[in-house]
Order: sequence, then structure tokens, then C-alpha cells
Amino acid sequence: MAWNQPGGPGNKDPWGKRKSGGPIDIDQVLRNLQNRIRAIFGGDGDGDAGGRGIGIGLILGVAFAVWMVTGFYIVQQGERGVVLRFGQKTEITEAGLHWRLPFPVERVEKVNVEKVSTVEVGYRSNPRTGTKNKVPKEALMLTQDENIIDIEFAVQYKISDPAAFLFNVYNPPGDMEMTIRQATESAVREVVGKNTLDFALTEGRDAVSSGAKESLQKILDRYQAGIQVVAVETQKAQPPEEVKTAFDDAVRAREDEQRLKNEAEAYANDIIPRARGAAARLVQEAEGYKASTIARADGDARRFSQVANEYVKAPGVTRERLYIETMEQVMTNTTKIFVDQKGGNLIYLPLDKLVPNGAARGSATTEAETPPQRETGGAQRGGRADLRNRRPAP
Amino acid sequence: MNQNKLLALAGLALLVVLTVSSAIYSVDEREKVIITRLGQILRFDDPPGLHLKAPFLDDARYFDSRILTLDQEPQQFLTKEKKYVLVDSFIKWRIVDARQYFLSVGGSEAGAKQRIEQVVNSGLRDEFGKREVKKVIAEDRPKIMEILTGYADKEARRFGIEIIDVRLQRVDLPEQVSASVFDRMKAERQRIANELRAQGAEAAEKIRAEAERKRDVLVAEAYGKAERTRGEGDARATSIYAGAASAAPEFYSLYRSLGAYRESFKNKDDIMVIDPSADFFKYMKKPTR
Repeated sequence: MAWNQPGGPGNKDPWGKRKSGGPIDIDQVLRNLQNRIRAIFGGDGDGDAGGRGIGIGLILGVAFAVWMVTGFYIVQQGERGVVLRFGQKTEITEAGLHWRLPFPVERVEKVNVEKVSTVEVGYRSNPRTGTKNKVPKEALMLTQDENIIDIEFAVQYKISDPAAFLFNVYNPPGDMEMTIRQATESAVREVVGKNTLDFALTEGRDAVSSGAKESLQKILDRYQAGIQVVAVETQKAQPPEEVKTAFDDAVRAREDEQRLKNEAEAYANDIIPRARGAAARLVQEAEGYKASTIARADGDARRFSQVANEYVKAPGVTRERLYIETMEQVMTNTTKIFVDQKGGNLIYLPLDKLVPNGAARGSATTEAETPPQRETGGAQRGGRADLRNRRPAP
Repeated sequence: MNQNKLLALAGLALLVVLTVSSAIYSVDEREKVIITRLGQILRFDDPPGLHLKAPFLDDARYFDSRILTLDQEPQQFLTKEKKYVLVDSFIKWRIVDARQYFLSVGGSEAGAKQRIEQVVNSGLRDEFGKREVKKVIAEDRPKIMEILTGYADKEARRFGIEIIDVRLQRVDLPEQVSASVFDRMKAERQRIANELRAQGAEAAEKIRAEAERKRDVLVAEAYGKAERTRGEGDARATSIYAGAASAAPEFYSLYRSLGAYRESFKNKDDIMVIDPSADFFKYMKKPTR
């Protein structure tokens, strides 16, 4: 009659009378058990069943000892052992060797509190093949400006309170991360929904991550899930596949804009220095022209003045001399054709033939300008022969 | 006789074991228990641990005391501007009053769930109908969840249930609408791309034009300066020539002309067609005057 042992004298009958429903005092039970065992071993048993009593006692004793030994358990480094006595939490043990009351009195549930686990939202990575499988249903979400963004998150968490983790939130056995996944999705979407697409895609990535982390932790605390969120990391934030080309084109357009500007700058940097150079050349040339013109004029003027001074002394002779000298020079240097105009005949002068250089220079014009030939008989022929007085070209 | 005694002993032991196992029960940290005696509720607030009850007479019924999840199927709701949104929500709930829960739903969850879902769905319909998509997605989202949690909790208390949280997991646009959103996004990007390129062209054109202006101005200014300088030179030269020539104008005319003749006819290609009667040749005809 084990059930009426722990109670006091006033609580002999447990049926219906025990309103408090409090747990049984296990220590008391144990003490009684020990007394009972001592009684079996103690040999204050009666004589007639002596031999058999000792045999049964021995077997029971060994069985009891083995039973007690099964109470040893090891808590690994990083784990905590939550001890339940008939379902009631009694203590939480640290790493090392421990003993509990054997089954079915006490049980231990071990929880790793140092392991950082990862929940993937928007994708599932396959550690065996190293590939990522997209889960569009989770990854695609609306932004504040009613655009759709494609975001993949990894949530890292660890168990901060083993008892709370075990006792407070139910997750189906096949999906222990259900709650955290649901909460993450809700938190991320809430944060993304507050931001515009462009912000979430670019400078807002970190803000989205930290906002989601904060929100997620708040949700989990509300459930007293005993989980600490270590980090929420944005694995990927990009426009959805359907609009990717358009977005890429916009990025290219930004590059194009810069390129066009740079090209124009390059053009400007090319022509302006050149223009400065050309301007400097114009000025320098003008300066040169000015200086040389003045110098030339000065020289010419001085030369003339000196000649003029001498001319005054003998004007007639000097005039004559200067004239003749000049003509001499002119005549020496040029090709001369004498034509006696007294005959009154029209003379044909084939200048293009006379001047080989000139002919080569512009035959077309010479042809056009040559007067039409007029057959004047042998006179012309003879005239031509006479007239020719040409030195061979040098 | 001895064998009969042993049989009776074994029978007694079996009876004792059966009685004991029926008289004790344990409550886990994750459970709530209701003890009924012949259908009547006896106790409902046993803490975790080992307890005793009347064997064979009393019945223990267990309920999960953890937070449970009611994951709803995604549903479409109309917003204020008559747009459909696809809402996926979940409800986190817990049995707080096992007695009430047992009495009202008789221990079957289906009824309670159905009732809670109804409340949440009608709440969602109301709240979404009051708001535009933008508000639902952004600033009013936490508010909607809060309101719904309040609604549902009030309703659920009747079943001994506490609603801890009603959360919008996903608020998406239906697939057909998504396609048009993508189109809009594309158009938007195209607009931006065009704008950027046009801006680039604009800036480039400005830079080029400015550079060309600078170039033209530079060159023109230089030209102006150059012409001024040339003019100065010409003026000085003119005054120098004039100064020299005015001393002997008639001789200057001769001198200069002769110089010009020399300059003009210094090439072998130049052809002079000469009348031999010219003054220059007078001595070629006869050596006297």
C-alpha cells in the first residue's frame, strides 16, 4: 500500500480527499523503500523460509543495484541536462557525470545550448551537394512601394533557456524549426514591407537584417521560446528573376551615363588645351609678324634713306644706273620673247609649249585660254622659229 | 495446496500492480491534466509531478500546455481599393484553462479551431477592407496583428484558450497581379534607364558644347589679339616707310618700283614678251643716241 505511506496520519485515504493534488514526497518514498530493503536483507525474517528468503533477497538486491546504476548519465560539453521527476522539472545540470533517480522516476532531457543552428528562409541548401534550392514562396515579398523583392535569409539562433525551449512551444516532430521559420518570415516581411525596393536592395540590406533580428527576437520572447537569435543575415537581396534584365539594364544605364560624361570630359580635355595652343600660336605669330614687319620696315627705310642721300648728289646718273641694273637683273632671270609689233599680224604664241613647267602646272586652264588657232600659212611657222629664243631649262 | 497458495499470491500481486498503476499518474511540464470521476470534473490544476487518484474510478485527461500553432491556409482578402491580396497567417495559442477547454469543446480541438479561425478570418476581412494595400504591407501591419490578436483572444477565452499571437506570415499579391507588378517594375526600370542615359547624353552634350565654346572663344580672342598686334606692326612699318619716303618722294617711287620689278621677275618661268623698240633696247639697234 505505497500510496498511503507518504501522507501524514490524517491523510491515510488518498481517494477524493486530497484536494491540493500536490506531488508525492519522493524522499519519503525512498526512505520507506530503503527500510523495506533493509528488512529483506536484515534477516529478521522467520526461520522456516530462511534459505529461500536469502536467495530472493540477493536477486532483488542485485537487480536494485543495477537499477540504481542506470541512473548515471553524462552531459556533454555545451549541453544542459533538464531533469524531470515524474514530469516535474527538478534541476538543470551542467556538463559532466551526474546521477538521477533511475527510470521511471526521473528522466533527463539534454539540450545543446552552445550550438548555433541555422534556419534558411527563401532557400534550402543541400549540404551533400552544396547546391541551393530556391523557395520562391518564401523569398518573394512585397516592399512598401508595392514592388516585389527576392530576399533570402539565414537565421542563426541558439537555445538560451533549455527549460523554456523544452516546455513552452510545441513544434511538430518533423519540423522542429517551424515556429522560428514562421516568426522569421513574419518579421522579415514586416521589415521589408516598411522599406522601398531600392532601399532594401542597396544600402538598406543591413538595416533590414538588424530590423528583422530585433523583431524576430521580440516575437520569440513573447512565446518564451527560450531561443536567442544570434544573427539574421541577408544572403541575397535582388530583384525577382522576371525583372532582372530590366534592372541590369538600369545598372548599365547608370554606367552609360557615367561613360557618356567621361567621354565628353575626355573630348573637352582634348580640345581645350589644343585650342589654347592654337591661340598661343596665333598670338605668337602675330607678335612675330609685328616684330619682323617693323624690323623689315626699319631696314628698308634705312637702306632707302642712305641711297637717297647719295642720289641727291648725282640724281641723273644714279637713276640711269639703277634702272639699267634692275632691268639687267630682270632680263637675266626671265625668259624673254621678242615680238616686233610693227608687222601688224596676229601672232600665235603657244605659251604652253614654250613653258614646260607652266604646261605641267595647269594644262586645263592653258587649253581653255589658248585662243583658237588661226592658220596664217608659212608666215606663222617662220615667225615661230624666229621668235623662239629660249635657254634650256636648268 | 501449496501451488494454489502460490497462484493466489500471484493473483493478488497482479491486482496490487493494476491498482497502483491506476492510482498514480504523473503530469509533465508540457501537460495539463483534468481528473474526472465518472464524468465529473474533480481537479484541473495539478502542477507537474506525481499524483494520486482513486484507481479505476477516476480518469485523467491530458492536454498540451505548450504554445500550439494554427497555420491557416492562404486566403484572399479585398483591400479598400478593391485589390485582392493573398494572406497567409498563423495563430499561436495555448490552453490556459483546461477545465473551460474541456467543458466547452469537450476535449476536441476541431471546434475550437474552427471558431478561432472564423474570428480571425472575419477580423482580417474587416481590417483589410479598411486599408489600402500600401498600408497593409507597411505601417499598419503590426497594428492589424495586434487588433486581431485582441479579437481572437477575447473570443478564445470562452474556450479556455489564450491567443498569444496572430501573425501575418505573408501578404502577397495573387499570381496574376504579380505578373502586372513585374511589368510595372520593368517599365519603371526602363524609365530610370532611359532617364539615366538621357541625362548622360545631356551632360555630355553640355560638356562638349562648353568645351567648344571655350575653344572658339580662346581662338577668337587670340585672333583678335593677333590682328591687333599685326596692325600695330603694320602701323609702325607704315610710319617708318612714310618717314623715309617723304624725304625724297619722287626717288622713292623709282626706287621702290625698281625693287618691285626685280621681285616680280626673278623666276625663270616668267616670260616677258618684249617689243624690241622699248627704250631699254635702244642701244641694241644703234649705239648712239
